[in-house]
Amino acid sequence: MALNIIVLIKQIVDIDLLKVNPSTGSPEVQNLPLRLENLSKNAVEEAVRIKEKNGGKIYAICFGTEKSSSAMKEAFAMGVDEGFVITGYQGNDPARTSMVLAEKIRAIPHDIVLLGNQSAESYTGLLPGKISRILGERLLSNAIKIEIVNGRARATMAMESETVTAETQLPAVISVTQEINEPRLPPVMQILQAGRKPMNVSATGIKEVTPNKIISNIAPKSERRKIVFEDIEKGIPEVAKAIREASR
Amino acid sequence: MKCLIFSDAVDTANQLVSFFSGIMEVDCIVPEAVAKAVSAHCSGNIFAMKESVFPDSITAVIAKTYRNSKYDYVFLGSTAIGRDVAGMLSVDLGLNVAAEITSFKLDGSSCVTKRYFYGGKTVIEESSNARILTVMPGIAEPKSAPAAGKISEVSQEASQVTMVSRESKAAGSVDLEKASIIVSVGRGIGNKENIEKIKPLADAVHGEIAGSRPVCLDYHWLSEDRQVGLSGKKVKPKMYIALGISGQIQHIAGIRGSKIVVAVNKDKSAPIFEEADYGLVGDLFQIVPKLVAAIKG
Ligand SMILES: Cc1cc2nc3c(=O)[nH]c(=O)nc-3n(C[C@H](O)[C@H](O)[C@H](O)COP(=O)(O)OP(=O)(O)OC[C@H]3O[C@@H](n4cnc5c(N)ncnc54)[C@H](O)[C@@H]3O)c2cc1C
Ligand SMILES: Nc1ncnc2c1ncn2[C@@H]1O[C@H](COP(=O)(O)O)[C@@H](O)[C@H]1O
Repeated sequence: MALNIIVLIKQIVDIDLLKVNPSTGSPEVQNLPLRLENLSKNAVEEAVRIKEKNGGKIYAICFGTEKSSSAMKEAFAMGVDEGFVITGYQGNDPARTSMVLAEKIRAIPHDIVLLGNQSAESYTGLLPGKISRILGERLLSNAIKIEIVNGRARATMAMESETVTAETQLPAVISVTQEINEPRLPPVMQILQAGRKPMNVSATGIKEVTPNKIISNIAPKSERRKIVFEDIEKGIPEVAKAIREASR
Repeated sequence: MKCLIFSDAVDTANQLVSFFSGIMEVDCIVPEAVAKAVSAHCSGNIFAMKESVFPDSITAVIAKTYRNSKYDYVFLGSTAIGRDVAGMLSVDLGLNVAAEITSFKLDGSSCVTKRYFYGGKTVIEESSNARILTVMPGIAEPKSAPAAGKISEVSQEASQVTMVSRESKAAGSVDLEKASIIVSVGRGIGNKENIEKIKPLADAVHGEIAGSRPVCLDYHWLSEDRQVGLSGKKVKPKMYIALGISGQIQHIAGIRGSKIVVAVNKDKSAPIFEEADYGLVGDLFQIVPKLVAAIKG
């Protein structure tokens, strides 16, 4: 059964390269490279695997900025067929993001909406529940495995104290965990072809929703001593001494 | 002020109830399996849910309880289910959410909360009119309540999704949050069998063994309850010994409370050395036996 799959992809600054200003503790986000968010990659990978098994078409939606076509191209290279970039993202505001994404999802006939369970930089984890409720579609969440069985979606979900396998009719919203798969490194041919896939760009009319006021956003101070030994023969006695003191 | 607390994790439920009891009146709505444990920490009403696995049916019963009794706040333990419920509940009740908070203060009709951001690299302090909050584990030590709470059953509508099968995870027995020394391993340990090789170190320092997320969750070299980090345990030992852990921000977010951090990594530019008091650059399999010998010295 050929499926129409929508993947929600977020673009983030490369948090692994993020430095903080040593005197103020403020994050220096300007000029950082942008990339596809980690869990969005897992969601894309899963979409591609579902398509490989069942056939169909994969759409990706990114609520981002004018710069988000690069994230979309990363998703194209992994196997997404058509992309929608919605501009106007102004920062973490899950209420607004979910409304913007839901509006676009409604406009695309679909069987499955895939997204990450918690994004790597803001990790609010609110989007799966919100999107499911706004669309009125059923949610299978925190999936570590997804199968399509007799036209229904079946997912194994990782919960606190148990693993639950459940099933539902389509269309359905499914959130994935980091453990579900290892996102592929796109083959060169697909990277080259990524530029030729259809990308639709539009601006959102939906305004800010969440009136959360940020008082401060700074790195907690690290007061670590950073005594690093490259010569381990010298280091081991020192470190052993510190360990002995701590374990007394 | 009055709040309703949900968590499907016993420890988190106990912590939340103890913390918020110091600020306002607390009622709980929890799975039956959690109700008994939480009653020692909560003197308010405890509503026990019988059929409680799926977020849609949990959301419905929380929404109903909230509407019936006019609560000011709903606090949800930040677990897989708790976050899903928060998203659903916020749409159903039309309320604003503050996610993944690590601290909470009332400020008139608003609240001031803190949360990690950029994957754990920074801390955001914000003021909001949020009424639904997901709360990270570790917000407080569980305290016993002066009187045990009254447990009553609440009926739940069936979920719209169909259960196929369920399997409980092996119950963990470690209490990493209380450990005074932790020996933690990362992907650098290479495989499950190699964990045996670091046990002499854990034994020598009477430490608990813990791990990074890949080690606990992806590869299951250690049980999931031993995961340290943003989405795992926040630990505060006297000493945290990180072996073959690169020190990604999501891991660091879990070890900030450690008094002293020791890192062993063969890559001298590994970010863990920026967050360590003592670092040894080299192969952990060579260093660990030498370290054990030197400790026993
Ligand atoms: C939303 C979200 C939440 C997350 N939450 C967590 C969390 O709670 N906890 C967590 O840990 N991660 C978490 N992560 C994952 C995190 O981003 C990293 O992927 C993870 O911490 C890396 O684990 P690691 O250090 O074991 O592995 P790697 O990054 O692969 O590091 C292995 C290290 O071992 C070193 N090494 C290899 N061999 C040797 C040797 N023989 N001797 C010495 N050193 C050696 C290497 O130099 C390397 O630095 C989260 C990610 C996301 C997106
Ligand atoms: N701005 C966005 N555009 C598209 N998808 C998003 C956006 N923000 C979040 N998502 C998706 O929602 C998942 C969970 O994000 P969050 O709820 O913010 O933790 C991410 O892994 C993405 O799949």
